[in-house]
Amino acid sequence: MKQFSATIRGNYPLSTGFFELEFTWDKAAPLPEPGRFFTVRVSDNTIPLLRRPFAFSAFDGNEGTASMIFQKRGHGTGLLSAKHKGDTLDIIGPLGQPFPMPDKGKKALLVAGGIGLGPIAFLAQTLRKEKIPVSMVFGCRTASLIPSGDSLAASGTVICTDDGSRGFKGTAGDYLKSIERSVGSGTVVYACGPQPMLKTCHEFAGRRGCACFVSVEQIMACGVGACMGCAVKSAGGGYKRACTEGPVFNSRELQW
Amino acid sequence: MSMDLRIKIGNKILPNPVGVASGTFGYGGEYEKLIDLAKLGAIYTKAVTLEPREGNEIPRIVETPSGILNSIGLANVGVTRFLSEKLPALAKLPCAVVANVAGATEAEYMAVVERLESAAQLWGYEINVSCPNVKHGGMAFGTDPQQIERLTKKIRALTKRPLIVKCTPNVTDITVIAKAAEAGGADAVSCINTLVGMVIDTAAKRPVLPAGTGGLSGPAVRPVGVAMTYRVSRAVSIPVIGIGGIMTADDAIQYLLAGASAVQVGTGTFVDPSIPVKVLEGIVEYCKIEKIASIKELHSRFSQP
Ligand SMILES: Cc1cc2nc3c(=O)[nH]c(=O)nc-3n(C[C@H](O)[C@H](O)[C@H](O)COP(=O)(O)OP(=O)(O)OC[C@H]3O[C@@H](n4cnc5c(N)ncnc54)[C@H](O)[C@@H]3O)c2cc1C
Ligand SMILES: Cc1cc2nc3c(=O)[nH]c(=O)nc-3n(C[C@H](O)[C@H](O)[C@H](O)COP(=O)(O)O)c2cc1C
Ligand code: FES
Repeated sequence: MKQFSATIRGNYPLSTGFFELEFTWDKAAPLPEPGRFFTVRVSDNTIPLLRRPFAFSAFDGNEGTASMIFQKRGHGTGLLSAKHKGDTLDIIGPLGQPFPMPDKGKKALLVAGGIGLGPIAFLAQTLRKEKIPVSMVFGCRTASLIPSGDSLAASGTVICTDDGSRGFKGTAGDYLKSIERSVGSGTVVYACGPQPMLKTCHEFAGRRGCACFVSVEQIMACGVGACMGCAVKSAGGGYKRACTEGPVFNSRELQW
Repeated sequence: MSMDLRIKIGNKILPNPVGVASGTFGYGGEYEKLIDLAKLGAIYTKAVTLEPREGNEIPRIVETPSGILNSIGLANVGVTRFLSEKLPALAKLPCAVVANVAGATEAEYMAVVERLESAAQLWGYEINVSCPNVKHGGMAFGTDPQQIERLTKKIRALTKRPLIVKCTPNVTDITVIAKAAEAGGADAVSCINTLVGMVIDTAAKRPVLPAGTGGLSGPAVRPVGVAMTYRVSRAVSIPVIGIGGIMTADDAIQYLLAGASAVQVGTGTFVDPSIPVKVLEGIVEYCKIEKIASIKELHSRFSQP
């Protein structure tokens, strides 16, 4: 991990409330990997105070830039959405654990919901480079919330909307149930999104006998393992730190 | 003229007045890649208890205007693993390593200090009698001057190392607590720990933190910390360590002018890990411009209201 000042290369609106932010990645910092994250000090003021965590959505080694896909949720992400090309960002990263690669010969089933798209899209890109078969599902409430819907659809991603305004009508979890029979132990499930979706993926993987890796969200204070603030419940009782042991966990390690 | 940054506490010397506060810096190693730990005056560890503690229900943190409310609940590895896994790396650093000690009973505090006495590398102790996040925990001690004096005396009998008692601001008169610690034989007092606060989720109609209340820290508490440091400094004759909301050198200088001999940066490190070192550099710069040669001289320059 390294703290550095990055320069914004672009901040592009993707869909209602969603943005893709591209920024320079310090040459001396370790390389971004899918599932790992970084923190940003969004303002020099004391409101909002804490750094905000975000997952990488892409890394371009030639350009030396990293990207994230984020949703405007509150004060911090609101300030980020108003940043422009040329503005600087105080970054600490990369942090946490990445998605592990599937064992040899296995296929990957990727499931993203809402702001989970960034790390899952990055993982898809990385797996495809390694020639690992990938199928991807993206779910959100309604068509207007789909970030870059056309490029998603073009990559073969199954799009699910709760209201049926585009693609499969229902949640990503509903879609998984519809393909349940075709998935077996030769598949590894990777998921990032809202907690209920992660739970559905965990249960689905359990039924189908496949491994499942989820990326969890928790409020963070330090992001580096020092404060115990980001605890999530572990399957064996007790807690694990989302920022250090996670944010990616084998779903069997967590309490659901 | 260069400034003498050293601070004497009990029978030992702190290399400089800027430390990092307990619970905000883990056991040191977590921040090792981000800052030069050798520049810190002291590292105050996460609270160490006799047995490992898992900590409180989640979520444990919620942001407030210019602050955070935490309910970590003394989650820590316990004294055995602290000694075997955490201390060896810490002990290689030139800064002072101060163990923050917590317990549910007098006997637990004493058992922890007895175990820690075996570790030659430890600089001293900060006795946490003031965590607002543990039921039947330190807070009961923390608000009763008689118990504080007795506990301090008992720990004093176990160690010659610098003994710092950390005071809670959640009392009517913090000077009574500080005086009790001094009477018990403490070498210094540190203040303040977090202030009890609550944030309510109006949609769910319940507190955001499952524990109900949490401890408030960050810039929001700084004026409270400065005022309490000011009052405590006048009530006791041992050194006072100022804590609460320090983000800049100017914030730290306020504490020093108010009477503190040293300071700790807590929440500020979360926001920007370079803050503790920048605070130290800023203090040195200020003293150079003001032609101040020591912390003692800084105290003497303060115009009493
Ligand atoms: C490891 C990790 C990776 C993340 N990756 C992304 C990403 O790629 N894209 C993205 O849009 N968001 C991501 N998030 C969530 C993002 O950090 C929050 O949306 C952001 O911090 C909200 O800040 P705010 O000031 O806008 O909102 P606030 O006003 O602080 O809060 C708005 C809402 O966001 C929730 N929230 C606040 N802080 C966090 C936090 N640290 N983690 C989770 N929820 C939070 C609050 O509970 C509240 O419901 C990630 C979170 C984590 C922990
Ligand atoms: C997440 C967190 C954990 C803390 N844990 C401890 C602890 O274990 N022992 C202790 O004495 N103080 C603990 N504190 C209190 C701090 O050491 C400090 O007194 C307080 O946060 C005020 O300083 P600040 O505003 O600079 O953070 C903790 C504070 C925070 C924010
Ligand atoms: S955010 Fe501090 S330990 Fe994870």
